[in-house]
Amino acid sequence: MSEVMKIKRRDFIKISGITGTGLILGFGLSAGARDKALTHFEPNAFLKIGSDNSIIIFAKNPEIGQGVKTSLPMIIAEELEVDWNNIEVIQAGLDSRLGAQFAGGSTAIKTNWQTLRTAGAAGKSMLIATAAGKWQISESECYAERGVVKNRRNKKQFTYGELAGDASKLKVPEAPSFKDPKDFKIIGTSKKGVDNQQIVTGTAEFGIDARKEGMLVATVLKCPVYGGKVASFDDSETKKIDGVRHVIKIDALGSVERVAGVAVVADNTWAAMKGKKALKVTWDYGEGASESSAGILEKFDTYLAKNGEIGLRDDGDIDAAFNKNEKAIEAIYEVPFLSHVPMEPMNYCADVKENECEVWGPTQVPGYVQRLASGITGIPRENIKVNMTRVGGGFGRRLMADYAADAITISHQIKQPVQVVWSREDDIQYDYYRPAGRYKLKAALDNANKLTAWYLNASTTSRNLFRGSQESPHTTEVFPDGFPAGFVPNFRMEYTPVKTVVPSGAWRAPGHNATAFIDQSFIDEMAHLAKKDPVDFRLEILGNEDKEMPYADHGGPTYSTKRLKNVIKIAAEKSNWHKKEAGVYKGFAAHFMFGAYVAEVVTLSLDANKEPHIENVLAVVDCGIVVNRSGAMSQIEGGIVDGLGAAMFGEVTIADGMAQQDNFDTYKMIRMKDAPKIEVHLVESKESPEGLGEMSLPMISAAYANAIFAATGKRIRKLPVQLSEVSS
Amino acid sequence: MAQFSLNINAQTYNIDVSPDTPLLWVLRDTLGLKGTKFGCGKALCGACTVHLDGNAIRSCSFPVSAVKGKVVTIEGLSEKGDHPLQLAWQEVDVPQCGYCQTGQIMSAAALLQRNPSPTDKDIDMAMSGNICRCGTYLRIRKAIHTAAKGGADE
Ligand code: FES
Ligand code: FES
Repeated sequence: MSEVMKIKRRDFIKISGITGTGLILGFGLSAGARDKALTHFEPNAFLKIGSDNSIIIFAKNPEIGQGVKTSLPMIIAEELEVDWNNIEVIQAGLDSRLGAQFAGGSTAIKTNWQTLRTAGAAGKSMLIATAAGKWQISESECYAERGVVKNRRNKKQFTYGELAGDASKLKVPEAPSFKDPKDFKIIGTSKKGVDNQQIVTGTAEFGIDARKEGMLVATVLKCPVYGGKVASFDDSETKKIDGVRHVIKIDALGSVERVAGVAVVADNTWAAMKGKKALKVTWDYGEGASESSAGILEKFDTYLAKNGEIGLRDDGDIDAAFNKNEKAIEAIYEVPFLSHVPMEPMNYCADVKENECEVWGPTQVPGYVQRLASGITGIPRENIKVNMTRVGGGFGRRLMADYAADAITISHQIKQPVQVVWSREDDIQYDYYRPAGRYKLKAALDNANKLTAWYLNASTTSRNLFRGSQESPHTTEVFPDGFPAGFVPNFRMEYTPVKTVVPSGAWRAPGHNATAFIDQSFIDEMAHLAKKDPVDFRLEILGNEDKEMPYADHGGPTYSTKRLKNVIKIAAEKSNWHKKEAGVYKGFAAHFMFGAYVAEVVTLSLDANKEPHIENVLAVVDCGIVVNRSGAMSQIEGGIVDGLGAAMFGEVTIADGMAQQDNFDTYKMIRMKDAPKIEVHLVESKESPEGLGEMSLPMISAAYANAIFAATGKRIRKLPVQLSEVSS
Repeated sequence: MAQFSLNINAQTYNIDVSPDTPLLWVLRDTLGLKGTKFGCGKALCGACTVHLDGNAIRSCSFPVSAVKGKVVTIEGLSEKGDHPLQLAWQEVDVPQCGYCQTGQIMSAAALLQRNPSPTDKDIDMAMSGNICRCGTYLRIRKAIHTAAKGGADE
């Protein structure tokens, strides 16, 4: 028993260190902190240099697996001119001095590039100025290298630690000069994840690992139909379970967060889970109970049978073009609802007190959680401390904070710290799915077999519409400036949202995960109709002249046809695209999103049963300057595997308003045997850097489907791919 | 509630829990060994993998009352976090979000124990019960080969 106590106490101390010190979490553990004479140089909230030469860089954004806890500090370390091996990276909490802190839209690198360079460069320039003052020479006669300022005249030097005390007295420069990118020593190299060691030894702290003294664990049974309410419930069996402390009815918040239900609060997770199972709840399902996949598909069809309600683009004269040119294809494409299923199920901890509150757990939007907590408890935001843990996957799911609202609401009611833990069943059933959609496409070739007309009429369960956004319902679903728009003389795009109670949310590469499949598959169809090679056909459409194409969506205001053609050409060359080999089938796709250009080639073979097997995937990526090569490659590989998994297996279907899938037996995931070899080429670039968390995903389904067509002659227009139909 | 005596990572723990409690929650909630993760609760994802007498088991679906034998968790896989797989995992820079990785390593460790030089096929088979939503499969495969060869090969 004493062993048990020991472990518990140690864990408790470690955790309370985290929750108690918030921003400087973990700092108390470093030896220097105990030294009374220690002084710190903190030119800004991003870094801290101690007179003992300790260098701490704060990671500002939630780490959801996209690698920002490593890549963002690399940018600071580069300009600060320190040795990467000598720094300690510490996760910051929510702190307004750090600017926007969230994980979404692959924006972290792009939007923080300037800020983080400034943060590091300001520190370095102050340290140089301090040394110059001490030596009474000009700053230009000094330079910084690996945490040391050196004197060009002689061999003298000061470590950053020796300068820390005096540097603090200087004014922080607003526009320090940056390094010339050719002198980068850290940016552009491969740095391993800063938490790797903790992860492989099981000591990394995820949200679900947070503990607080006196913390209880809660589960929440919610209506499987979104918008449903508790009519009545019987908790007599629940209350008999050892360890169950409270059963509480939770009311709806009046926002899109789905929180209404019955919560079981217990001493430990298992008791809370058993207690939830033993609940008997009668639901008032509400209007959502009549929803079904079939009903939603029917609505798509009704809308696609006529012109779309929202006209998004109308170039040339599409009707005349279709009348004149008979070489045309009309097709319906379809994508299903998808669940996010990050590996770490939804969970969150809250400790709501009289006029203050502390929360911690996995989220992509810590600022939003703070606003939500303030709204639920009435506690002003400045009294709500938001700590960030590692996040076991996001994929857009944790842009919603319903599970955080659960924890805050329950802790507020019972006045005790609470951790809410969802089961995988809860996760899939209470998700905000990737919108489902149907897309009617029609395109025509002219006499020279050139693409002359392109018509897209799309209907999806709009995410904007679901969350009641002010923005037009199409903006999350289709992109009027996306390729081939602007290159086809007669081009029309229309859209009609389907209103449904089934929740829609942002799923990795939102919108693009559907449009890239559709556009890049249909381009392939048109290439085959034109009897042209699919790569040559794309290049022909893009034209010889290099252009900046207007692009009003995220990643704009323009995109470069030069960079798009470049990744297409490199992918063709590296994959030996134009070399035909017997028994080897290839599919191509390329897409621009969020500022990055990606081309992918899937190579297939057919087995004895004529079933396709992916031999390998090749990706060529131009995302501007690459900060962390290993991290970038990881994101690209992961996005491809994820996108393939969705194309092969991903599907949520709805009956009686409920998801019919609830765990990994019914919601199938890609596993190791289906994960192909992947070869990634990063284009050397001096363009400003873009994120990479999503960009390799959207076009992989099209590259896969196009390869299946090359191998079998069967056109895939609906996801997930049904291999049995393909090989029959 | 009932008393159980468990051998975990070569230490004896006497605990008092409900007999149907899955080993996973005993590890995480009762003993504070949180390196073992919860992913599905139904033996479908492998996040909760630990060793029972050297075999990989899914602790989420293994009631504590059925545990007879020696349990090893990620915390006890090596004394200093230097099991060849733990080193290879860092070398190859496998983790993305990292959540599935302790379960992946425990499955891989059980594989290497019975098959010190597995082929890709062997690896695919042995690791088929472990899901990685971030898609790190290729690096996992590489890290297992690296560890099997006795360390970094590049
Ligand atoms: S949690 Fe045990 S296999 Fe998924
Ligand atoms: S690393 Fe995220 S689930 Fe495997």
